[in-house]
Amino acid sequence: MRHFKGLAYPYVAWSFALIALPLLLIVLYAVTSGDNSLITIHFTLDNFRKIGDPVYMNVFAKSLEIGLIVTLICLVMAYPLAYIISWFNDEIQSILILVVTIPMWINTLLRTYAWVSLLSDNGLISQLLGIVGIHAPAMMYTNFAVIIGLVCDLLPFMVIPIHTSLTKMDYSLVEAAKDLGANNFQTFRKVILKLSLPGVINGVTLVFLCSISSFVVPVLLGGRQYMLIGNLIEQQFISIGDWNFGSAISVLLAIAILIVMSLMRRIDPDEKGEK
Amino acid sequence: MRLKKISLGPKLYIAVCFLFFYLPIAVTMFFSFNSSKSLTHFTGFSLHWYEKLLTDQNILAAVYVSISIAIFATIISTILGTITAIGLSKSRKVLKEWILNVNNIPIMNPDIVTAISLMILFTSARLERGYITMLLAHIAFCTPFVITSVYPKVRSMDHNLADVAMDLGATPFQALTKVIVPLLRPGIFAGMLLAFTMSLDDFVVSYFVTGNGVANISIIVYNMTKRINPTINALSTLLILAVVIVLVGVNLWPAIKAKRRGNPKYQAVTKRKSKKLVPILAGICIIAVGITCVTQFSAISSKQVLRVFNSGEYIDMDLIAQFEDEYDCQVVYETFDSNESMYTKLQSGATYDILVPSDYMIERLIEEDYLKKIDWKQITHKDDIIPSLMENNEFDPKNEYTVPYYWGTVGILYDTNVVDEEDLAQGWEILRNPKYKGDLYMYDSERDSFMIALKTLGYSMNTTNKKELLEAYDWLIQQRETMDPVYVGDDVMDNMISGNKALAVVYSGDGTYVIDENEDMSFFVPEQGSNVWTDGMVVTKDCNNMELACQFMDFFLDKEVAIQNTEYIGYDSAVQSVYDYYREGDYAGNPGCGPDTSNPLNEVFRNQPQKIKAFTANLWTKIKSHK
Amino acid sequence: MKEHPIIELKNITKNFGDQQVLRGIDLNIYENEFLTLLGPSGCGKTTILRIIGGFEEASDGQVLFNGDDIAKLPPYKREVNTVFQKYALFPFLNVYENVAFGLHLKNVDEDVIINKVDKMLTMVGLKGYEKRDVTSLSGGQQQRVAIARALINEPKVLLLDEPLGALDAKLRKDMQIELKKIQKEVGITFVFVTHDQEEALTMSDTIVVMNDGIVQQIGSPIDIYNEPQNRFVAEFIGESNIIEGTMIRDCLVKFDGIEWECVDKGFRENEEIEVVLRPEDMDVIPATDAKLCGKIVSKVFMGVHYEYMVETANRQYKVHTTENYELGTEIGLTIDPYDIQVMHIG
Repeated sequence: MRHFKGLAYPYVAWSFALIALPLLLIVLYAVTSGDNSLITIHFTLDNFRKIGDPVYMNVFAKSLEIGLIVTLICLVMAYPLAYIISWFNDEIQSILILVVTIPMWINTLLRTYAWVSLLSDNGLISQLLGIVGIHAPAMMYTNFAVIIGLVCDLLPFMVIPIHTSLTKMDYSLVEAAKDLGANNFQTFRKVILKLSLPGVINGVTLVFLCSISSFVVPVLLGGRQYMLIGNLIEQQFISIGDWNFGSAISVLLAIAILIVMSLMRRIDPDEKGEK
Repeated sequence: MRLKKISLGPKLYIAVCFLFFYLPIAVTMFFSFNSSKSLTHFTGFSLHWYEKLLTDQNILAAVYVSISIAIFATIISTILGTITAIGLSKSRKVLKEWILNVNNIPIMNPDIVTAISLMILFTSARLERGYITMLLAHIAFCTPFVITSVYPKVRSMDHNLADVAMDLGATPFQALTKVIVPLLRPGIFAGMLLAFTMSLDDFVVSYFVTGNGVANISIIVYNMTKRINPTINALSTLLILAVVIVLVGVNLWPAIKAKRRGNPKYQAVTKRKSKKLVPILAGICIIAVGITCVTQFSAISSKQVLRVFNSGEYIDMDLIAQFEDEYDCQVVYETFDSNESMYTKLQSGATYDILVPSDYMIERLIEEDYLKKIDWKQITHKDDIIPSLMENNEFDPKNEYTVPYYWGTVGILYDTNVVDEEDLAQGWEILRNPKYKGDLYMYDSERDSFMIALKTLGYSMNTTNKKELLEAYDWLIQQRETMDPVYVGDDVMDNMISGNKALAVVYSGDGTYVIDENEDMSFFVPEQGSNVWTDGMVVTKDCNNMELACQFMDFFLDKEVAIQNTEYIGYDSAVQSVYDYYREGDYAGNPGCGPDTSNPLNEVFRNQPQKIKAFTANLWTKIKSHK
Repeated sequence: MKEHPIIELKNITKNFGDQQVLRGIDLNIYENEFLTLLGPSGCGKTTILRIIGGFEEASDGQVLFNGDDIAKLPPYKREVNTVFQKYALFPFLNVYENVAFGLHLKNVDEDVIINKVDKMLTMVGLKGYEKRDVTSLSGGQQQRVAIARALINEPKVLLLDEPLGALDAKLRKDMQIELKKIQKEVGITFVFVTHDQEEALTMSDTIVVMNDGIVQQIGSPIDIYNEPQNRFVAEFIGESNIIEGTMIRDCLVKFDGIEWECVDKGFRENEEIEVVLRPEDMDVIPATDAKLCGKIVSKVFMGVHYEYMVETANRQYKVHTTENYELGTEIGLTIDPYDIQVMHIG
């Protein structure tokens, strides 16, 4: 195998040029000001000071809130789903998992767009509720719409890792627990839940990351005044044209996410084993 | 637990979850067969939208871009990721840590940060943006996924097997292809699938790094969502079917193969066949790359090219095709969603020949030396333009740069069934009338929003007085707190046609269009004054073919063309005869048509000093971010 | 038979980081011999094999193959093949394809391959298994496939890295015999690595005992067993009583205060030496007739013989005999001169 050592070198160059360098540029923009060109820069921390404004802190808080809610809903929905799927025999399981994955293959924008026609004020859902005689409150352009859109978009990312860890689980441990006198509920709580923890952590991380930085779903379902961090960044770069401030927010977001990641890793028993 | 009988409850739960997954998809598919535009009322079965889809060059091009980028990005990132993962397991610790950590960045980093960092990179490197930059970006974010799915397999692989192969006479390359790659196949396959999915589904990164009219499905869909367009549903339906067929096929294949395996004849044959399959596939790919390159470059070299950058849904694409035919040239057409985003794009190094910005942006572009003077001699229809649009333009005083395109005002569109006539007297202040709380749309435009507040307060909309701007800011903040307005883009039209809310701030032309579709709606321009705007075609300094640019602009001033274009857009044409044609014809009596320019309080937007611009932009960010 | 070394190792050293695993190995491997590298794990025997195979490069020293330096030659250009410890079969290929792997690489005509594979599988007793999935085979069968896969390339030397390590005891015995048989049949050199001394003794023509990166002794199984050159070899191979003593003069050694006749010569007079006494070479005689007496303090039945611990004035001796004695019996011990092996203190 030592013959293949050199194979990693091209990627070192590649990852520097297309991953590390762009990030360094963002950091550079974040700590400078000077009209979006790199010729007239001077260093400043104003961009970060600006983020301290309560308005922007609120955007961060709201993103965090939406992220947590979406993650929680996904977890509550996905765990039973993955668990029930794992009861079936292998053939049916793979079909069910296929059914879960198919939506991931369909363009997120198309799927989100479909929710518009369902949720809008005179849309299908309110029409249906109207038939039953319930006057539906406005759903489009609300938290509700954004959360529904995100949950629908991200649910597979939660189901699949949990299902994987449930099927990888050593079933003899469950039998051992029952043998030692644990009832079904105790077995679930003390053994199955614990053993599927890595999958849960993976899923939670993925869903949380994607939801706090999402940008398209809030635009389509939340309206333009619906500001999450992703939208704030997009706005700074595209419509306001303040790349320095936009970069500062990006840097802060990236740092926040790295912190969350390292916290998550600390809980993950799999990662501990490796070190 | 396993294999035990599963009761109804859990099964029902699965069904409910799947319903949630597939409800939007099913609705999309269902309405793709609708005969009318509505996404809420099924009026009859029709394949109309499929027909439209299959004749829409832009969508077909986008499908090609999406799929070809996904295939190339998948192939390249799979190869790159796999060899890296293999090399990694034998690398020194420092190198390994570097790669694994750097590798995590695109996975962990929000898409938007990745997108922006790449955009800045390409801008700084002065790379022309388009197909190649999009491909590079896709490879950049796909490869880490391949590495993360292959690397664990490399680590758990029996490393002796590579030694065995070499011991048996395989060169390192043969060991790689004949032993290591087959051993890693499940991981490579998983990585490949992931890369393909990511690439096909990507919007954010593509959106930021593309240019020169290259768009994938996501970008097209994003642009199409501005107006109701069931073609999207037809597109979704076809894509969904394709995905289902591919996925089901892939998943059933092993079963079919296993069945055939029982047959020894089959095996003897396939062994030879499969050997040749890889080179054949590789050959096909290389040919495909070749064709792509050739078509990309030959198209550019053989014909004159005109790069046009226009606002979204602001031209009838059929007319562009017509222009291309008549003048034997190629139009690279791209759209922006606001003047500001157009400016950002220019700033990030994108180059175009013709832009279609608004008045104040034209003024800015003139000041900052982005534009070329127009050769008026070549504009044969010059005299057909409404004279008032050619005189006294503060933004282009001598009218050296601008060929007026469309014009209008900003006003309020209202539902006559909901809004009391007498409330209209409040003018802009109606937007803060608590009666209509939660029942109004604001338009997502910085300058127009400030215009509304400033006009209500009795100030000039071009004020440079920070105190006045702060007052306007307070007005808008107060409105956000008390009225719960929804800021929308061009989707305002669909929403108003469906009668979703009672009030909306719109451009007069959009008002015309909505009223034409929904008779319950009406439009008025408040007495406090409004923005009278002109959008014009301008030629940039990057333009090398003034003749073609002039031909293009002249083409759209032609009466026949302008009528067809106006039919599609619904705004007030800058061509006198066309303006009159609609004012007296189709849109007679439509209050959105024919802006009333007599009000002395009306103004035209002016470019503002950099400091004021930054000041307002900051306030605007705060307004939008306000909870 | 031993005039022409096919592989010569000259002063080979190998460092992994700051750890030295081979410290100057000199070794000649001859044609047609079954040579075993024997030693405890970590002694460097596998490293030697990997250096010969070309998977590791020696830090210093020369590797000659038929007189040519092959140190820089990559594995795929060497005329040696290896059978790896855990079979290392390609799981994605069936039995036939595994065995034919090397020939496929050389683009040999398929008809020739079919013929050769058939011959090889017949030799290792796996005819009819061609289409089987290798993962469905038993350990022994997998091992045979691995051997066939290596031998089909007609190497000059076959390297075997603890090939029987993962098999159960019974199968191991069968495979030992089988391997020896195969070696005779193909008539090439086998270099065999093991930590199992019994395996080494049964199969080898030559045994190289190694410890701590140094060759301790090279010799035939009988030499190694009967005439260990130092304490390590004596202890590692078979069981033994090792006693310090003094060489009075040639053929006379003194230990436990008693003078014994022996056959060893060439030591200095009164040199301090160690004596190896194999437990089965200690004969039990009535206590009254013996120079060395003791009392049986433990007794274990070992199948063919009993193992007794005999407490004498100076130490306990381990004694193997088929006779049955009661615990606590006073017995006498004697040793024939040719059963006494005298070693330098190493």
